[in-house]
Amino acid sequence: MSLLKPFSKLPGLNTANILLVENEEQFQQKLADTVVLQEKTVNVNVLARSLPLPMENEESRPRIDLVVFIIHLTSELSFQSAETSLKYLDPGYFQGKVCFLVTNARNVSVPPERLVSVRKLAASLHCPLLCAEDQTTEGVTTAAHRLLAILKVAAGLVPMATGLYLSTLTRCTVPSDIDQQNFE
Amino acid sequence: MGDSTNRILQRLIRRIPYQMLQTMFGKWAHLSREDLHSLDFTQPKWVLTEHLLALCEEKGLTVKHITELEMIYIIENPNQGMWHGFQLLDAEEDAPSIELTQFKEQFKANLTELISHVSIKIKKHTDEAIWIRVAWGDNFTKPYHLKPTYVVHHLQTPYVFVTGVTSKHKPLLNQALVLATRYGSMKDAHLSGRNLTAIRDLLMRQYQQVFPTKHPKPLQEKNPVPRNPNIEKEQAENTENRLQMACEAFGDGTLPQMQKAVYKLETKFRDNSNKTLTGREEPFRGVVEFASTNLLESLRHCVSSGMASTPVTPLLSSITQKGRNYFVITDKGV
Repeated sequence: MSLLKPFSKLPGLNTANILLVENEEQFQQKLADTVVLQEKTVNVNVLARSLPLPMENEESRPRIDLVVFIIHLTSELSFQSAETSLKYLDPGYFQGKVCFLVTNARNVSVPPERLVSVRKLAASLHCPLLCAEDQTTEGVTTAAHRLLAILKVAAGLVPMATGLYLSTLTRCTVPSDIDQQNFE
Repeated sequence: MGDSTNRILQRLIRRIPYQMLQTMFGKWAHLSREDLHSLDFTQPKWVLTEHLLALCEEKGLTVKHITELEMIYIIENPNQGMWHGFQLLDAEEDAPSIELTQFKEQFKANLTELISHVSIKIKKHTDEAIWIRVAWGDNFTKPYHLKPTYVVHHLQTPYVFVTGVTSKHKPLLNQALVLATRYGSMKDAHLSGRNLTAIRDLLMRQYQQVFPTKHPKPLQEKNPVPRNPNIEKEQAENTENRLQMACEAFGDGTLPQMQKAVYKLETKFRDNSNKTLTGREEPFRGVVEFASTNLLESLRHCVSSGMASTPVTPLLSSITQKGRNYFVITDKGV
């Protein structure tokens, strides 16, 4: 099994690399363009549809500092593809180098159980869960901004903060009564 | 002009949108320049209709002339009503050498033999298509001009497109066409739609097709978007493969605008979790219909974005490969 390993390569000077994994391959392009625009000195984005990544690029691929799974709540396939891709990540990533990004969380036609299961997944892996809005430019810019903040910590570019430290603060939690959704 | 002629003219003017009226009258040979100038196109339509009726009365125009105007309108705007495609089979030896006058004579002779009261108008359009307008009567009544049938045929091709024909007149029309074009028989091509140009392009394969190649990456001639050196796509080859397969199945560039594809299922029910329906002898009848404003474009996008799995299932690619949009699926195949 070709696992993606976090520390098997040397880091570059003043670079941070983010891997955006999305089954539909639409939001990731917009997000990548915005992230590159916002921060000129730093990063390289790598876009993929699902893990495992192809072996041919193994040599030339830089060290990945943050893996972001983009899940569209409108499609069950999106969630399932992200779940299967998780198996190809080395456990070392789950200490602050993985993040979940969810779109269409406010959409009425989305079944609420899907968001609950994504939250449970993120909570069990101790990863942060971000909600983003992908249809407007402001939404994309906001999401890019937040991802950049987490990326800089995960790449070690922020003094006195490590990915593990940040993830204990930002990780997703699931309150125990989430299964009973009553509005009293 | 009789009462019925007036009514036909009124109905026709009501049907033509106001903006097109001036161009249509310009093409109609029966109104001279002075007449056109005398018609005031800024008035409301009913006033214009009155003027026109008076003008036609003065000139003694008959139903024949009015049907010419209708034909001009339909030829300019063919994408209304439901068009059905037919295919001619069993060509005889002289079928490829039929020319226009021969076809016209034969068709008129055949059809008038079958029904005595029928009004036929044949016109050749600039793009090599023959347009035929038929108004049906029967042995005792005059032809009824408010529900005509239109037929489009490209000479030397085995394809015919028909709209507005009732089941009573269909066999007569078929017989006349078959005899006039010197073929053996005509069958339903199972292709129908509102857009004549679309079904014609689909059946005669006049859209941009992509052929399978051993060496992929032929689609790179299009303007490539300048890539940001900071952004790398990991699975780019997969994306290109999917795009290639989608274009092979459905074509490249602008696709004919089909609206529907209907699959009628007559297969046995096959789901093990449902015990009441599985295992019955008779087939489970169902109809699956795909509808969209531009069906082929949507299907191509489904395949290229990965929503539909590749290689493209023959059920979907037969829409373009066989040029049909109505399929009956039995257990033995399509």
